[in-house]
Amino acid sequence: MVGRLLAWLDSRTGYRSLVKLALDEELPPGTGWTFTTGSVVTMLVGCQFVTGLGLAMYYVPAPSLAYDSVRFIMQDLPIGWLVRGLHYWGASFLVVAAVIHLLRVFLLGSYKAPREVTWLSGVLMLLVILAFALTGYLLPWDQKGYWATTVTINIARSSPLAGEFLASVMRGGPDLGALTLGRWFSAHVFLLPATLTVLIVAHIALMRKHGISGPVAPAPGAGVAFFPRHVAKDTVMMAAVFASLIAVAALVVAPLDEIANPADASYIPRPEWYFLSLFQMLKYFPGPLEPVATMVIPGMVVGFLLLLPFIDRGEGRHPLRSPRRMLTAALAAIGIGVAVLTGLGVADLPAGKDPNDWGLLPIAGHAIATADGNTCAACHESGGPAAPLEITRLTKDEEWLLAHMADPVAIAPGVRSAGDPAPAPVMSRFKAQAVVAYLRREQAGHRAPQVEPSQRLAALTYAESCVVCHRISGEGGTLGPDLTHVGVRRDAAGIKAVIEDAPEMYGETEMPAFRDRLTPEQIDALASYLASRK
Amino acid sequence: MSQQMSPVNSSNRRGFLVRVIQATHAAIGATLAFIVGGAVVAPSLGRRESQWLHAGDVTQLAEDVPMPVTLRIARPDGASEVVERRVVYLVRSGDRVRALDSTCTHLGCRTKFNAESMQIECPCHGGVYDSAGRVISGPPPAPLAAMATRIENDQIMVQV
Ligand code: FES
Repeated sequence: MVGRLLAWLDSRTGYRSLVKLALDEELPPGTGWTFTTGSVVTMLVGCQFVTGLGLAMYYVPAPSLAYDSVRFIMQDLPIGWLVRGLHYWGASFLVVAAVIHLLRVFLLGSYKAPREVTWLSGVLMLLVILAFALTGYLLPWDQKGYWATTVTINIARSSPLAGEFLASVMRGGPDLGALTLGRWFSAHVFLLPATLTVLIVAHIALMRKHGISGPVAPAPGAGVAFFPRHVAKDTVMMAAVFASLIAVAALVVAPLDEIANPADASYIPRPEWYFLSLFQMLKYFPGPLEPVATMVIPGMVVGFLLLLPFIDRGEGRHPLRSPRRMLTAALAAIGIGVAVLTGLGVADLPAGKDPNDWGLLPIAGHAIATADGNTCAACHESGGPAAPLEITRLTKDEEWLLAHMADPVAIAPGVRSAGDPAPAPVMSRFKAQAVVAYLRREQAGHRAPQVEPSQRLAALTYAESCVVCHRISGEGGTLGPDLTHVGVRRDAAGIKAVIEDAPEMYGETEMPAFRDRLTPEQIDALASYLASRK
Repeated sequence: MSQQMSPVNSSNRRGFLVRVIQATHAAIGATLAFIVGGAVVAPSLGRRESQWLHAGDVTQLAEDVPMPVTLRIARPDGASEVVERRVVYLVRSGDRVRALDSTCTHLGCRTKFNAESMQIECPCHGGVYDSAGRVISGPPPAPLAAMATRIENDQIMVQV
C-alpha cells in the first residue's frame, strides 16, 4: 500500500531520481572519518532550528516580558528547561564544530582551487554563526546579556568614521532598550536563519559540484560509495555528538542571570566564552588604541581566512610541507593567540554575584517580605485587587517597585501632585530596596536559604545601616570597603571594634561610630556574621 | 584476507547498513521531536485550577433578589498575569445561597439585573431570565450557569 503510494508520488514528482542524485556519489579512495565534520555542523544547525522554533513560541521580545517569558520556559513549562538547554549548549557545540570543520578543511588543504568559493561560503557561515550567538545572548534580557551587549555596541562605536552611527543602528536609537531587543530578535529569528540556510545550500551544492577533496595523498584502490558507506560514518558521528549534547543539556541547566537592571552600572559584563578572547584583548589596548583590538586585529584574522585560498595557490596539500608550512604556522599562531587570550580572560573573570551566596540584603528582604503582618498580602491575595505574589511578575523597573512599596496605592510613581499631602510610607526605602533585592534573586529561580535568627538580625541591621556604603556579594554601595571576604582580614572582635567606633580605630574616616546607634545584639550579630565571611 | 564477498552477502550487508542509518536518524529526529513537541503541547494539557473566592456576606442579601458582585480572578497567563473580573449574581432563598454566572448562555453577552421587573436581562438579543436564572423568553438555550458555593460564618465563598 505504502509502496504503491510512493510509486505514484514518484511517477508524478520524480523524487526518487532526486534522492538517487543526492546519494549516489563516489568519493575519492581513502575518504574516511575526517570527512564527517561537515555533517556534524549540519546536524547541530538543524537542532538549533528545531529548538529555536519551540522557544520562539513562548519568548516575548519586549523588555518588560522577555525575562519573564524565559523564566516561564525554564520554570513553568514542562521540559522547557531542556529545550532551552539544548539551544543554549547547542550554540557552544555549534561554534566548536564549525571551528573543527574549518581546521579540517585547512589542514587537508581542501580549499584549494577550484574550491575557493566553497571556502568563502564556509567562512561567511562561521561569521553568521557568531552573529547568531551574539544576538541570542541579549534575548533573555538578564544582567549578563544586557551588559555584554552594551560592550558589543560600544565596540562597534569605537570603529572609525561611522562608529557612532553604526552603534545607533545596532541600538535602534540612542539607548539600549526595547528597540534594540526588537531588532536583535528579528535578526536572530528571521534574517540570520534565512542567510544561513542560503549559505548552507550553496555550500553543499558547491561541494557536490567539485566533489570531495579526499585525502592529501591520493590513496590507491577503488572509490568509496557515499551511500551507505560514508553516510554510515557521518551518522555515527552525528549520533555521538547529539547524545553528548543531550547529556550536557540535561545535566547542566542553562543559566539565567537576574533580570537586566540598566541602573546597576557596577555590573561587570562577562561575554560568552567564544568572545572572551576579543573581550580580553580590549584590556591591552586602552584609549585611542582601542580600535586595534576591536577592528584591526579581528579584521586581519577574518581577512586572512577569506584570502587563504587566493594566497595558497601551489599544488601541495600537506600542511607541514612547503609551500603550506608558513600558512599553517600563521593559523597556529592565531589559534594559540585566541587560546591564550581566552585563558587570561577566564583567569580575569570578575567574581560575580554567586547565586548561592545570598549575602545579607536579599535575606533582609526575605525576612521583611515574609514577616507576620507584612502589608503586601493585603492586596496581593486571591480575589484581591492584585494578583497573589506567587504569580506576580517583575515587569516594572526598580524605581517603580520602590515607589510602589513605599506607597502601594500610587500605581504610577509621581502621580500625586506636589500639593497633596505626602502619604506616610508603608515601607521605608531601605526596606523596599531589600525586598527588591530579594525578589530579583527569587525571580532568577534561587530559593531563599534558611538562616539563624542572629543572621536575620544582622541582615535587617545591614539593610538599614550599612548597605549604603558597604557591598556584600554584589549588593550594596561602594563608598566603603567591600565586605564580601572581610572575615579573611579581621576576626569578630576586630570587626566589632570597627563598628562600635571607627573614628577611634582609623582616625580620619567617613564611617561614624555605631556604638550608640545600634544595640549590642545588633553589633554582635553583624560582627559574628561578617567574621564568618572568608 | 579477501575483500571480495559473494553478491548476496554484500547486498545483505548493505541492506543492514541502510537500516541502521535510517534507524539512527529516526532516533535523533524522534528525540528532538519528543522534547520540542512536548514543550509545544504541554500547556494544552494543563487544567485551570479552580479556587474559592470570597463573594459577600449572607446578611446583606435580600430574599430572592439577585445581587451582582464582581469577583477578581488572578491567574498566570503564560509569561504574564491577568486579573479577570467576573460578575456573578448571589441569590439567597431561605438559607440557601446560589451564585449565577452573569454570562448569557446564548452568545456570551454580559446580562444585567433589572430591579424594577426583578428579571435578569440580556442587552444583546433580548434574552430574559428570572431571578433564579431560568429562561423566561428570548433565544438563550439554557439557564444561567450556577457556580459551587459554600457558606462559612455567614461569608459566601464561590468556586471559580
Ligand atoms: S447573547 Fe444574550 S440573548 Fe444573545
